[in-house]
Amino acid sequence: MLCELLLVAGPLLRAPLAAPPAADDLTDWLPADPLLVIEAPRPRALFEPLLDAELAAVVTSLPPWQAWAASPEGREFWNVVRTLEATLGLDWRTALARLAGGGAVLAVAPPESLLLVLEAEDADLLLRLHTILLGFARAEAAREGDASRLDPVRHGDVEVWSFDGKEVHAIVGNRLLFANRREGLVAALERRAASPGARLAGAEGWRAARATAGPDAAVRLYADLARLKENPGFARGLEEGRANPLAALLFAGIVEAMREASWLSAGLAVADEGFVLRAVVDGAADDPASPAAFARPDPADAPALPSLAVPGRLAAIGLHRDLHGFYAAKDELFPERTSSLIFFENMMGIFFTGRDLTDEVLAETRPGVRLVVAEQRHDPAAGVPEVRIPAFAAVLALRDAGEFGEVIEEAWQKALGLVNFTRGQDALPGLILDRGEQNGTKLTIARFSTAGIDDRAHLPPRFNYSPTLALPQNHLVLSSTEGLARDLVDALARGAGAGPEAGDQDDRVELDGAGIGAALAANREALVRSNMIDEGHTREEAELEIGALLALIGFVDEVDLRVGRRGATTGARLDVHLRRPAAPAPAGPRDAAPR
Amino acid sequence: MIPTRREFLEVALGATGALSFGAAQPGWLRRLPGRAAPGAGETALVVVQLSGGNDGLNTVVPYGDDEYGRHRPTLRLAERELHKIDDHLGFHPRLGGIAALYRDGLASIVQGVGYAGSDRDHGPALRAWHTADPAPGRETGWLGRVADAAQGPEHDDTPVMFVGPIAAPFALNATRAVVPAIGSLAELAVDAAPARPAEGGAEGAERSLLAHVRRTERAAQALSEAVARARDARSRVEYPSGPFAADLFTVARLIRAGAGIRIFCTELGGEGFGGFDNHANQLGNHCALLQQLSAAVSAFLRDLEAAGLLDRVLLMTFSEFGRTLAENGRRGTGHGAAAPVLLAGGRLRGGLLGVHPSLTDLDQGAPRPHTDFRRVYATVLEGWLGLPSEPVLGGSFAPLPAFAG
Amino acid sequence: MAPRHQLSRDPAAAWAPYAPDAARPWTLARASHLYRRAAFGARAEDLVRALAGGPEQAVAELLAPPGDLTAFDRARDADETAACRSGRSDAVRDWWLRRMILSPHPLRERMALLWHAHFALDAAQVKEAPAVRRHVALLREHALGSYRSLVEAMVRDPALLASLGAAASRRGQPAEGLARALLERWTVGAEHCAEEDVREAARAFTGTFVRGDEVIHVAREHDGGVKRVLGRTGPFTGEDVVQIALAHPATAETVVRRLWRAFVSEVEEPAPALLAPLARSFAAGLDLGRLAGTILRSSLFFSDAARGQRITSPVELAVGLVRSLEGLIATSTLARDLDRLGQRLLHPPTARGWAGGPAWIDRVTLLRRQALAAALLAEGGAYGGRLDPREVAARHGHADVNAAADFLADLLLPEGGEAVRSAARAELSRGAPGEALRRFAIAIARSPEYQLS
Repeated sequence: MLCELLLVAGPLLRAPLAAPPAADDLTDWLPADPLLVIEAPRPRALFEPLLDAELAAVVTSLPPWQAWAASPEGREFWNVVRTLEATLGLDWRTALARLAGGGAVLAVAPPESLLLVLEAEDADLLLRLHTILLGFARAEAAREGDASRLDPVRHGDVEVWSFDGKEVHAIVGNRLLFANRREGLVAALERRAASPGARLAGAEGWRAARATAGPDAAVRLYADLARLKENPGFARGLEEGRANPLAALLFAGIVEAMREASWLSAGLAVADEGFVLRAVVDGAADDPASPAAFARPDPADAPALPSLAVPGRLAAIGLHRDLHGFYAAKDELFPERTSSLIFFENMMGIFFTGRDLTDEVLAETRPGVRLVVAEQRHDPAAGVPEVRIPAFAAVLALRDAGEFGEVIEEAWQKALGLVNFTRGQDALPGLILDRGEQNGTKLTIARFSTAGIDDRAHLPPRFNYSPTLALPQNHLVLSSTEGLARDLVDALARGAGAGPEAGDQDDRVELDGAGIGAALAANREALVRSNMIDEGHTREEAELEIGALLALIGFVDEVDLRVGRRGATTGARLDVHLRRPAAPAPAGPRDAAPR
Repeated sequence: MIPTRREFLEVALGATGALSFGAAQPGWLRRLPGRAAPGAGETALVVVQLSGGNDGLNTVVPYGDDEYGRHRPTLRLAERELHKIDDHLGFHPRLGGIAALYRDGLASIVQGVGYAGSDRDHGPALRAWHTADPAPGRETGWLGRVADAAQGPEHDDTPVMFVGPIAAPFALNATRAVVPAIGSLAELAVDAAPARPAEGGAEGAERSLLAHVRRTERAAQALSEAVARARDARSRVEYPSGPFAADLFTVARLIRAGAGIRIFCTELGGEGFGGFDNHANQLGNHCALLQQLSAAVSAFLRDLEAAGLLDRVLLMTFSEFGRTLAENGRRGTGHGAAAPVLLAGGRLRGGLLGVHPSLTDLDQGAPRPHTDFRRVYATVLEGWLGLPSEPVLGGSFAPLPAFAG
Repeated sequence: MAPRHQLSRDPAAAWAPYAPDAARPWTLARASHLYRRAAFGARAEDLVRALAGGPEQAVAELLAPPGDLTAFDRARDADETAACRSGRSDAVRDWWLRRMILSPHPLRERMALLWHAHFALDAAQVKEAPAVRRHVALLREHALGSYRSLVEAMVRDPALLASLGAAASRRGQPAEGLARALLERWTVGAEHCAEEDVREAARAFTGTFVRGDEVIHVAREHDGGVKRVLGRTGPFTGEDVVQIALAHPATAETVVRRLWRAFVSEVEEPAPALLAPLARSFAAGLDLGRLAGTILRSSLFFSDAARGQRITSPVELAVGLVRSLEGLIATSTLARDLDRLGQRLLHPPTARGWAGGPAWIDRVTLLRRQALAAALLAEGGAYGGRLDPREVAARHGHADVNAAADFLADLLLPEGGEAVRSAARAELSRGAPGEALRRFAIAIARSPEYQLS
């Protein structure tokens, strides 16, 4: 906000003021061709959570924080902070807010040049802090017999300092400029003096990108994708998104849009109860001839995908993917023929009695895939598995379940038969096939028997699964458990409800923080044991780490991510709702320690 | 009270004083021929496993036989698209690179390879090819036995190596030797040890364990340096993308760097049942695999040709079985028996070895093998590596006349 | 005097307990040798206590550590049982390595590892992780107990039967895997039994079936006829065959040879006369603890002749380094690295276990050993820098870099490595002390000398 006001007021104010000019856009200092810019036009919004005593109490009670604060590095850091607090007569939070409260901007430009500009609300505080730190550095240099290396070098009327001979900085009015190379800083000073045309503010991509970040953004990010993609590592990362079929299915559209795009822009807005992150790239990936076209199905054929509400839902994912188009393009999408792909085709050939998987099976589905993950309710009388895995299910829309339904039923029962036969060969218990009914829909249920098992409080992992097929309302529901299948049948019967509007083609991921936290907490012991083996931790260390993870997840209430086309761009919006646990984080022996 | 080393030996061994160190070594095959001057003049064998049971009939296609077209309504390949070998046979359309090698005399096809009585199950059939023994129960692989025999306490070398992203095939299982499997060259790059003053004495002759480790350390350092050279090496020949081509590129670099490894094993098709196991929708999937095979093998040989090393390398493929002549109603084929083996390299006689198996005299729907696969093994062991094959194969198998001169 | 003369005539003198004297004093090198062979490697406190207490007490404490083991065992058992129930197939391996690192009774784990190579279970043939865990627990339980109990436990262990292809042995189709392993590898040895003995013994084991996690006997599938095994004739059962084989004099020699390889030498083949006294006394009660004790106390064990006669297996190498540096690392990561060094725990290459000895070292495995030592001691990377040589040295009162380096060298390689030490010292001049000491320890751990034990 402040920054935007200054942006408007800048030209008016600049003229009458002699150097150092006080009010203008911080980005005027930046090179005209940065790879990456991060701006914090409203830093106050970021500092506020830091100033919140309640939140701070929770964070400082977290085991990793306490472990760090107790370490030699942590103690040294806090000693310095306390010394500075005493010298300045301010606590560090307030000092930080006043120092950077006017805004901050960071730019990375080739070659490896980094420039940071901070605008202090309190110019006097900035000078005092600099004087104190300079004193420390001079004392150190004097001990080493070279105090003169701390003397500033003048550029015009600006003094340029360096504490360690590498970093360089200067204070111009209420601005602190900091660079990792002397040339970078000098160039920034010269840029200010030069014509506005050489400045970043004039760059077209930059302006277009910045406009998409959202007016209320506390932090904005701009990246020059065209040039970042010249970096082989970055380009390889994009390519890897294609090689894996699952990744190709999930991230199609995004990867293609990134490949087309010349810039990426992101904005972070902070609100009381959470934050919103928006990201946009100027690529649309709408070429219908592209192998990735399956990720942008014709809206006329692709229904909106209302999220399915089931009890204990942990996650819901809705993807506008045309599976038929996806599989038809497999030669271009993933030219390799892995064992698993061939095995999948062979099995599908058997289950679907020789039907062509692409044209005679997947063509029967309508575009759109919904995935649901939900907590499982275990009846202690029936038995509870040692490790509790949530239930998960996929929901597809069919073109004509009446015709194709029995083909799917037959394929499903062949698959179960094959699983049972194979498990029998290995002397492993098989599945009992069962039929059930829910809300007028027939279910094909398969479950393991607990006959002969005495310890029902620690059942083997297979008891997390009771694979179930249902075909309600022209949909195919394939669930890892009977319970979730029944809940989904009910949810589909209830209809769309307050879902997205017709024509909404956003892909969507919704997560329930509390539920995920509870699901992880139910497996706390297993997580601790894995952590011991995989990290080499003692039991105590593992419990602290898992405790901290659960405590952090405890902050997250809901997460909602939408990705989709925005005109000629592709955008994502991430809404994160946070909550504040009333008490300090649960468990962990350190909780009892006095703070 | 405490005996000295000498006393101990006398007690331990009676009056002989002969050390048993290395006595477990079989007398044969103490070293592989050509090892004396590492990197100079050694021959290298590259064994490529095509996992899943490659359809030999759509690899070397008997287009001139009416039975072929008649039994393959969706899988038959059009005559005009084939790379013709003669008026009866042609290479699959995607085997252009291999067909060119064949025309240049750099590739041979051994036809109708297999063994009698295969139960046509992936596990046992693959195990038979790996152990060189169709009877179950053999605990070591044929390449593992070469490694065991060639590598002993006096030997610091690593004669056999697997290059690929999957677990090493059973063919490399050895009793003593640890046959290394690498995914990339980086796994063999280790910083040099801090310089040490030379340890005193004639350790080269000493037969203690410490001398063994010290000798091995020097050899390891030499290998590490060869790997470092190989990592930096660029090729004038462009390899296609994909992991199989990358593995062959790795092999080529190790050969060019003179790393002294004599047998490389690598794989196309992947872990599990294998990508060649096309029971359904075979046409496109098989095309994709043969495309990778042909382009990678062709690049590999052309690369070594450019480096002047063509005469030192021989590549052979194998697959656990061929496939049935008739389709199975799912646009795929079932497990078969005989299949062709590809040999590629600089010192081959070229052409076809053996005749194409009959398409009318079938065994459970598949062409019958007429050449035991161990004859191919004997061919590469004796004719290429210069090793007696009988101890490795556990029987006498006549080598095939595959090599020139 | 001339001990050499005396020993040649009287092997019993070789097995007489070592008593330090002026010529062969009780030194750091000898104490370290004991721990390298019998306990993966020494911790500083082990060496301090051993030097103060003398060899007899050090061996006694290795055989029966003071203090309460049950609390340690109970906690591990609970974790391992739960970890296996949750179905991770590699859990047994990962937790076993962890136990080797942490155990207050390292000799027991060392022996369990030896028995694993001896019985050579291949977990790939066993479907359920809990059965593999129980197998390892049996190896541990009987590691230093009676060999009779150990073999009796093995022939009715469902996991081992599955691994031997002996999960179903019918009257009409006897499974030979168990009988062959019992006679050729676990007891009398192949040179003392004929193919006919194996076939007859297999008949005695008919009627044995693995059902889920137990072994059952089905009377109607048992061949009750007369068998002739190792020269004895009768309507034997499997249990009878086990007792006949255990009572055979060659069995004691088989076991004594195993322990000879583990504790004395992998490269010197002992003359039968040397082993005879040990085999005779072992045959009396098949007491493994007593046999191990006799060997570890002996003059021969502490003689120069027994030094450097083994190559540390990959497991011993890594576990020893971690134990000596009093650390704890990610054992799932370690297990994968050990695979590449040729020791895939619970998956031996053949039913004869690992060949061991010089076969552990070739130029690729040596490069990988060096890379593993460097990874374990690196500040970051796969093992997260959890071993900290500087901290260990400081804990034992050696804060100064040079003193810390001397301490580490004494701890890891107290003898025969002057050249290694002086070369490693070059690392001390570069970088901060913590980093320099890491490089110093790496230089020692990757040296040829450290690969020996």
